[in-house]
Formats: sequence, C-alpha cells, structure tokens
Amino acid sequence: MSIDVRNVTKTFRTFTALHEINLHVNTGELIALLGPSGCGKTTLLRILAGLEGPTTGAILLNDQEVTDRHIGERGVGFVFQHYALFRHMTVFENIAFGLRVRPRSTRPTNETIDEKVRELLKLVQLEWLGDRYPRQLSGGQRQRVALARALAVEPTVLLLDEPFGALDAKVRKELRRWLRRLHTDLHVTSVFVTHDQDEALEVADRVVVMNKGRIEQIGTPEEVYEHPASPFVYDFLGGVNLFHGRVHEGRVQVGDLNLALREQSGIPDGPAIGYVRPHEIDLHRHPGEEGAIEALVGRIQPVGAVARLEMVRTDNGELIEGEVSQQQWRELALSTGERVYVRPKSLRVFPEPVE
Amino acid sequence: MTTGVLSLDKGTSRIASTVAEPVLVRLALILVSLTFLGLFLFVPLAAILFEALKHGLGTYLASFQEPDAIAAIQLTLLATAIALPLNVVFGLSAAWAIAKFEFWGKQVLITLIDLPFSVSPVVAGLIYVLLFGLQGALGPWLAAHDIKIIFAVPGIVLATIFVTFPFVARELIPHMQAQGKDEEEAALVLGATGWQTFRRVTLPSIKWSLLYGVILCNARAMGEFGAVSVVSGHIRGETNTMPLHVEILYNEYNYVAAFAVASLLALLSLVTLAAKSLVEWTSSVEQKENRP
Amino acid sequence: MSILLKQPTVLPGFGLTLGFTLLYLSLIVLIPLAGLFVKTSALTGEQFWSAVSDPRTVASYQLTFGLSFVAALLNAFFGVIIAWVLVRYSFPGRKFVDALVDLPFALPTAVAGIALTAVFSVNGWIGRYLEPLGIKIAFTPLGVLVALTFIGLPFVVRTVQPVLQDLEKEIEEAAASLGATRWKTVTRVIFPEVFPALLTGFTSAFARALGEYGSVVFISGNMPMRTEITPLLIITKLEQYDYAGAAAIAVVMLVASFILLLIINGLQWWSGRRQVAF
Repeated sequence: MSIDVRNVTKTFRTFTALHEINLHVNTGELIALLGPSGCGKTTLLRILAGLEGPTTGAILLNDQEVTDRHIGERGVGFVFQHYALFRHMTVFENIAFGLRVRPRSTRPTNETIDEKVRELLKLVQLEWLGDRYPRQLSGGQRQRVALARALAVEPTVLLLDEPFGALDAKVRKELRRWLRRLHTDLHVTSVFVTHDQDEALEVADRVVVMNKGRIEQIGTPEEVYEHPASPFVYDFLGGVNLFHGRVHEGRVQVGDLNLALREQSGIPDGPAIGYVRPHEIDLHRHPGEEGAIEALVGRIQPVGAVARLEMVRTDNGELIEGEVSQQQWRELALSTGERVYVRPKSLRVFPEPVE
Repeated sequence: MTTGVLSLDKGTSRIASTVAEPVLVRLALILVSLTFLGLFLFVPLAAILFEALKHGLGTYLASFQEPDAIAAIQLTLLATAIALPLNVVFGLSAAWAIAKFEFWGKQVLITLIDLPFSVSPVVAGLIYVLLFGLQGALGPWLAAHDIKIIFAVPGIVLATIFVTFPFVARELIPHMQAQGKDEEEAALVLGATGWQTFRRVTLPSIKWSLLYGVILCNARAMGEFGAVSVVSGHIRGETNTMPLHVEILYNEYNYVAAFAVASLLALLSLVTLAAKSLVEWTSSVEQKENRP
Repeated sequence: MSILLKQPTVLPGFGLTLGFTLLYLSLIVLIPLAGLFVKTSALTGEQFWSAVSDPRTVASYQLTFGLSFVAALLNAFFGVIIAWVLVRYSFPGRKFVDALVDLPFALPTAVAGIALTAVFSVNGWIGRYLEPLGIKIAFTPLGVLVALTFIGLPFVVRTVQPVLQDLEKEIEEAAASLGATRWKTVTRVIFPEVFPALLTGFTSAFARALGEYGSVVFISGNMPMRTEITPLLIITKLEQYDYAGAAAIAVVMLVASFILLLIINGLQWWSGRRQVAF
C-alpha cells in the first residue's frame, strides 16, 4: 500500500513541529525518517499512524484519504520506541491482543488465533517464549515481540519508532539485518524513524532526511550519502570536514588551496563553505601546483583496512580528519608532528548560510 | 568464643563507624522508638482486647447478639457498600482524566480532590446539615416532599462518601501518571475500542494501586466517627453505625459491650494493615521484576 | 470539555471522565462547602465576629491550635527517630513494627479514643503509675495531647522514611572520607536532605490534629474553657440549634485547613515528592 503525505503541518501551541511536509512512499518500500531529535520525524510517524492529527494537510493510504479515520481502522502496525508491551500479559497474549479485540463478527476462532500467534512467534524466532512475561525478556526479544504483535493484525503499513534505539550495539546490528530480511520476505510498506545515519543507510530503500520540521532531502542511501543536497545533510550523515573559504569567478579559495568548482553550480561570489569526507582527502608530503592546505599530523589510528589520522591546520588551528588505505599509509610513512599537505579529491561547496 | 565475637564486633564497628552509629547509640534509638510506639500503639490495642474479654468469652459474644449491635453492623456495611463503589468509579474516572490527558487546571483539580482530607470530619458533617437539615437551604423543600437525609441513612452515606472521597483517586493518579500512555496507544493501534483498552490494558496494570486504595477507603468508611456523628442523630437501631454504637455503649458505662464492638473494629484495622503490607510487598516484588 | 485539552489526543474518554469527575466533586465536596460560606454570609460582620471570638470559643482555639502544635512537634521528634530506626537498623519484629505505625490511620478514632482513655485514666494500665506522681492525663489537657499525638503519629514517619530510604549511602561515605565525624555527617548532610519531608510531615500532622474529634472527646472530659476542642464546640452549637454560630466557627477552621493545605502543597512541591501517608 502506498502512502502519501500532502502539505502536512503540525503545530503544538506556539511550536511548529512540521512545516508543509510532502512525501510519497511506494507500495512495498522501506523508508527511513532520519534526523536529529526534535526534527519532527516521530511526530510525522505518529501522524501517519493516526496517533496525532495534522494541523493542516492530508494523509492518503492507497490514494484514499484517511486523515480523519480512527486510528484502529487505518490498518497500520505501530512499533513503539519502548515497545509498549502489555506488561501483565504473556508474550502469546500480547501478540494475540489485536485479534482478540476484534468485534465478534470478524474475530477469528480461538484455534485460528492460536495458529496465527504460533506462526508469528516462529517468524520472529521466539517459539519457546510464548508463556513468558515481557519483564522476563531481553531488549532484543521485546523488540521482536512488539513487531510480531504489530504484524498480527496484518497491517498494510508498518511504522516503527526508533526500532533499535534502546538496544546495545551488537544486538542492534543483528536486528537491523534481520529486519531488512523480514521486509524482503513480507514486503509490507514500512516507515521507520531513526537518528542513526548508519542504520538508515544500511536498512532503508530510501532515506528521508529531516531537520527542524522540514524535509532536507529524499533519496536512496547512495544519493543522500554521495550527493547531499544541503550542508545539513552533509553534516548529519557524519564524519565530515568543513572548510570556510571564498568563491570567486567559479573557483574556490580555502587557505592556500585554490580549486575550480566542479560543476556549473551557480554559487555566487562571496563566503562559502566546503565539505569533504575523510576518505576523499589526498595527502602529500609537498604542496602541489594547485596549492594545498598545510597541516601537522596529530593522532594516528592505523587500525583495520584504513588508517585514520587527525591533522591540525597550520594557518588557523582547525582540525582535519583523514582516512587513507593501509598501502598509501605505508608509502607516506608519516608520523605525529610531521608536516603534511591536504588536498580534497572532491569538495562540495555551498554558499555560507546567512545567520 | 565470647572474646572472639566481641573482637569481631569491635573490628567491624570500627570500619563501619564511618557510616553507622556506635552500638550504644543504636540500641538507645531503637529503645526510644519501641517505647514510644509501644506506649501509644501497642498498649491501647491490647487494652481493647483486655477490656472486651474482662468478663469472659460468653459476655463478649453476647454483645454481638444485641439487636442494636446487629443493626449498627448492618448500617456500617450498607454505608460502606454504597460509598466504596462510588468512590472507586470516581477514582478511576479522575485518574484516567488526570493521568492520560494534558489539560488546563489539572493541578487545581488534583488539589481539590485532596480537599476532604484537610476538612475536619465535624465540618464535613456540618456542611450536609446546613444543606439538607431542617433549617438548611434545601430543608423545607425536602420536608415538604417527606424526604429525610439528615438524621437518616442518606446523610450517613453522604458523610461517609465525603470523608473517603480522595482515597482511591490519590492512590491511582501518581501510579497511572508514572505509567504513561504508551500501552493504551498500542492497544488502540491494534484496533481495540476505548472500553476494551481500559478493561484489558489499563485496569490489570493498576490493580494493586486500586486494591490499595480500596483497602484504605474501606477502613475509613467503616470507622468514620466525627462526620457521621454530626448527621446521624444517634437513633438506636436506626442511624447508629458501629463507631457510634461504641460511643453510646461507652457513655452508658456498658464498657464490656463497648469494647467488644470496638474490638471488632480494631480487628478490622489490623486486617487492613496486614492487607496493606501484603499489597505493598506484592507490588514491590512485581516492580522489581519489571525492571529490565 | 475538550476545549480544556492542551492538545488533541487519540485516547478516548476525556470528556466523559473529566465531566463525571467535576460533577461528582461539585456535588459531594464543592457545593456543600460553598453552602457553609453562604450560610455564614447571612450573618452581619458583628454577629460573625462575636460568634468566632467569644471567650469560650477563643479558649477552644488556644487549646486546639496549641496542643495540635505540641503534638506535631512531639511527632516530628519521635517520628524522625522511628523512621531512622526502621530504615537503618534491623532488629527482630521490625516488619511488624513498621506495619503497626499505620495503626492510627486504620483504627477508627472512636475506638482509639476509648482505648486511650482506658489506658490513661487514673486506674488504667499507665495512668495508675502516673497518678502517684501527681500526673493526671485523662480528662485534662494532657489527655487531649495524648490523643492528638496518637492520631498524628504516622505522618512524619511516613514522609521521612522514603527520603531516608532513597538517600545514597555514598553521600555519607563521601562526607566521612572528607573527615566529617558521624555526628557532623548526620546533622550537616543527612538532616538537610530530610528536612523538607520532615516539615511536610509536621504540617500534615498539625492539620490532622486541628480537625480531630473522635479520639479526643472520650479522653478530654470536654470541660468548657479547659478541655473543649473547637470541633466539639461546633457540635455543641449544632445541638443548641445555633446553626449560624456553628457555621461561623467552621469557617474559621476551614480557612485554617486551606492555608495548611496550601503550605503542604508548597512543601511537597519543594521537596519534590507526594505525600505517601493517607
């Protein structure tokens, strides 16, 4: 089932949580709403579920307007951040709940419910835990029970609020892969909220990056990572170096470095900021013809496939992070305190935002 | 062996003395506490039993066969049977509104709910006399329609409701506030109706607090004296509750019977304390298990 | 009702539950209480003043407020010690003693009244040993004090106890490691933590004692000007069909209770916890 969000605005008294949000989710897609806390992603998810109403705008499921339809009649499954399992019910009863509360005319027989719950327990690999109480489960197990409970009502849309937020790092990675596989099998249109960019990039078909109640960018993980649409997306997707410079006639000047702007970007002359990821940096022992940023090598972490190093710019003391392959690292043979020349392979330039 | 124990004691007490008091101080404090509690709680409690059984078990049991005593017990049970369910419904209703919604004037409402606790029982009785009594605001109208509230059973029920008004609500409100509304939202998303959500999700998770409130409410309803005394009119066999019956017997110097009925009320309070401890213990065990 | 909501919500039942709550609160509590003020307003200022300030009434205020204050002080002192003993020390029967502390809440006041009278009268279990010393308790102001102390006993214990329980031992260890003696640690570190709760408990006990009736009437002897408490005076006026006079004194009591309720609310806000006692 497809989801359409049309011009949705949400205000809480004086605070505007969402500004004119427009979003289309295709049937069977897995979408991540990514952003820092307070960006409105959870509010958007709750509006999709019907837990909140939009101040203005409309929600459509399969091209049918559901904005005013009651939460229980939307056919959505919702997995709460802290799971919201019914603490006085067994795992089995938690999963069966959605079926048991149906009106008599559409309620399945006890045998059917039984069968269905066992199926779901098997799906989430918790067959042997049916008669336990939520308090007796680990975080990861609770998460899977919450998911099974949401799936029991055969929702056409699955919504998950920070599904891995409360778990420790290892369980988190396992569950991520498991969720991705599950989605491939079930193919339910799914939207999940996260503040963890790795999670969004690894699991989702498309990522919606949000900031201050607005959508900054919608795209596949590759698109948002490789071609961030705004400084915010660049910043938020993480591990990025920022340079302040000036644009003049299609070239940008950062310290002693002077680069031609890559494309016809239409950036006006004036102050600008450039972004470059640590692995997109070339390191040299000598300044080249185009000039380079001079820095001193600081802390070095030669662990794993790449060597990470911190460098301090000699002109303004700002920190630069770099990543080079082990092979390159051996060739350069740098050590702490040595002078190095930094040149970005590609620098993404934006006009300096006016505060 | 004695020296061993002593030296061990000395050793540990020297280490522990940073965060504990010397043994003598401890003993003194325990002694002071137990004496104070013994004098004020234990001795009076024992005195009730002693006075009631002074002339043997036969006289004691005979006190309960008096028609007036039976009538008093029945009236107490009746007033409680009306006041308790009403206050439970009120408590659930108030706690639902206060704990699950954000609205203007909530803090004022919480304070108002506690109000009956700070009103003297005598004043509680008085306000109903002023409203429904013969000289009261509605008195002439009630008299004209031959409805008796004051010096009759309805007045006793009203006074009982007033003094036990906050018990259930004030146990439920903080508990339900702490629980939040995630579980209710989850139930609604799963298609439950409002009533199903309350019945199957909310109610089971507040059962201990509810029971706790009911126990306290029940004890006060059965034991109330001041407020009921003002509205009762002390008509033997008709408007006397158990505590009022105790007063009448006592004032007639019928001490054995007075203490016999009193012993029944004292037993009720001991059962209340035991039930209260049990509920506290059970719910704390459950809470511990609920912690991840 | 929904106009009162700060934000819309999917949970049902707001109008129904708040509506019922307000209706029930108004019918049982607010309207009858308002009736008291209406009744009093029928009096002229002079009548009101003479009703609330005649010597017998003033004597009852002095007795009620004075002894309630002393009883609350006694309970504050012993309450802190009892709470401390119950939280920090283990001794046989501690659980039992802990449960018994709530007895004054659970025991009907009339029962408490006759039991205390029996124990403290001149031939009672305790009274008989005090009589030769020239101390009479039953039917004297001391008897009133005993009753008021009894009914206020659990308040301080039950407000201070949870605070002591939550107190982290590390704070005391830190104080000790910084060279504080045990006495200094108790007075400078623990006491300030406990103080807001102690004050809340004290005020609650005081408020409860002001309105108390059942446990006092049996032991006090009810002698006008000497052992007559204000709630009893209200009943006496009622029995003489002086409804306006009773209402006037009740208003004074009620205003005193409201002020105390506000103080308690303020204290609870200050100490950041709700009162646990009933």
